[in-house]
Amino acid sequence: MAATSPKRHTAFGRDTGLQARMLLTMFLLVVLYIVLIGALFAVGASGVTILVVALGLLAVQLFTSDKIAMGTMGVKEVSPAEEPELHGIIERLCVQADLPKPRVCVMEHPMPNAFAMGRSQKSATVCATRSILELLSPAELEGVLAHELTHVINRDVMVMTLASFFAMVASLIVQFGFLFGGGFGGGYGRNREAEEAIFVAIAVAAVVYAISFMLLRALSRYREFAADRGSAVLTGRPSALASALLKISGTMERIPGRDLRTVEGMSAFFIVPARAKNSLMNLFADHPPLEQRLAALERLESQLQGTA
Amino acid sequence: MGLLDALTGRHQVKGPAPDRLFAITTAYITLQSEHQIAPAGTAAIVFQALATSEFEATIKDMEEVVRATGGESATQVATQDDSYGYRWMVLRNPAGAPSVEDLAVGINAVSSSIETAGHGERLLCSVFAFVDAQQQPIYFIYNYKRGFWYPFVPAAGDQQRSTERELQLKAQLSGELPMEPELERWFPLWGIPI
Repeated sequence: MAATSPKRHTAFGRDTGLQARMLLTMFLLVVLYIVLIGALFAVGASGVTILVVALGLLAVQLFTSDKIAMGTMGVKEVSPAEEPELHGIIERLCVQADLPKPRVCVMEHPMPNAFAMGRSQKSATVCATRSILELLSPAELEGVLAHELTHVINRDVMVMTLASFFAMVASLIVQFGFLFGGGFGGGYGRNREAEEAIFVAIAVAAVVYAISFMLLRALSRYREFAADRGSAVLTGRPSALASALLKISGTMERIPGRDLRTVEGMSAFFIVPARAKNSLMNLFADHPPLEQRLAALERLESQLQGTA
Repeated sequence: MGLLDALTGRHQVKGPAPDRLFAITTAYITLQSEHQIAPAGTAAIVFQALATSEFEATIKDMEEVVRATGGESATQVATQDDSYGYRWMVLRNPAGAPSVEDLAVGINAVSSSIETAGHGERLLCSVFAFVDAQQQPIYFIYNYKRGFWYPFVPAAGDQQRSTERELQLKAQLSGELPMEPELERWFPLWGIPI
């Protein structure tokens, strides 16, 4: 029987550049966070209090955010009988990716979009809006769902939540640091010293927050590229995803941006961000611009056709 | 998947698991002799067809090879695409001479040549068709990624399956066929063209 050879040659090359950029971004985040932790311990008790509060918030975020999002966004789980085609596509992709089947949901929303939620592969949910089901052909829909399943495979919710943990700590300090300044001063003599330390900590936190914000956005963009790539590898049809992105973005620009607040928080895991695309600079965008994604998919198609 | 792979979002589609396709060639004897379930003389292999000239050429060669090797049993080959964009290569034995061995050899020839061409991760599954004493179709599906089998019994009505019958088959064939242990991976295949 044909055993798999140890060196399996595949239709797609590797993308080491993308992985290197991702690791560099994470490295910079870690350096930044070490600076922040240092500043927190310099402040003393109030700094540690903030860390503990933030850890609690992290746990809440990891364990309830998908349920909260589903509750507030009008996301409804659908059975195979209700959406046979959607379930069929996802089941085949799960077989291909050797992934447990996620929960399948549909959201009644006029914007064509799809997203994945859940902290692990076992608790994952894949959701598509009603309008994307109507807009895309089966092959295009398969490409989009493979992109979302790649987010699940890559544990993107977990990675991004953990990566943004200390950014959240920093923002807490910036917002509430002054309260601690008043409360922990103690006697008259030590008050001034403590206030100075807290002022320094707030300044460090503000800088950390600003830089980590940009790094996190960059990380998010890299993971979108990785998910596009994963989708192409999973389906073997990079151009189908490219076609889907073109269709989605065309519609997204025509539909006015009302009702945006309800979907704002989920933007990082949408296949195309739920905001008007011209209003944000590249540096701050959490999704790469469409042209770059299409170019990356085109390179994959050339690799596949053997013309690269 | 390692930690580094998770951190960098690097993901390779898994290739086929160690091959347990030929388990069906002994399991069907039990099916036939003890449970009155006879082979229907058809089997199919399902895969994602890449839209490249190289892949199409591989498939064409394959059809030729299966036709040539099926000289004695006269296995017929037909290909068709389903609505999900997957390609079915259907192998059919002539009536009166259903041979599971020949079909398994043919299916294995197709999957090996796809693997040799470097596209092993495109294989979805193989399906072997059987009929029970009431002439109801029973399918056994082989998942290449997992190297496991599972039964699939469509029931009357739109997209209904007889889970009870499937679980009975699992119990009847335990030890003979490496069965998929996770029931949530017993994915149905609606509209099987064999």
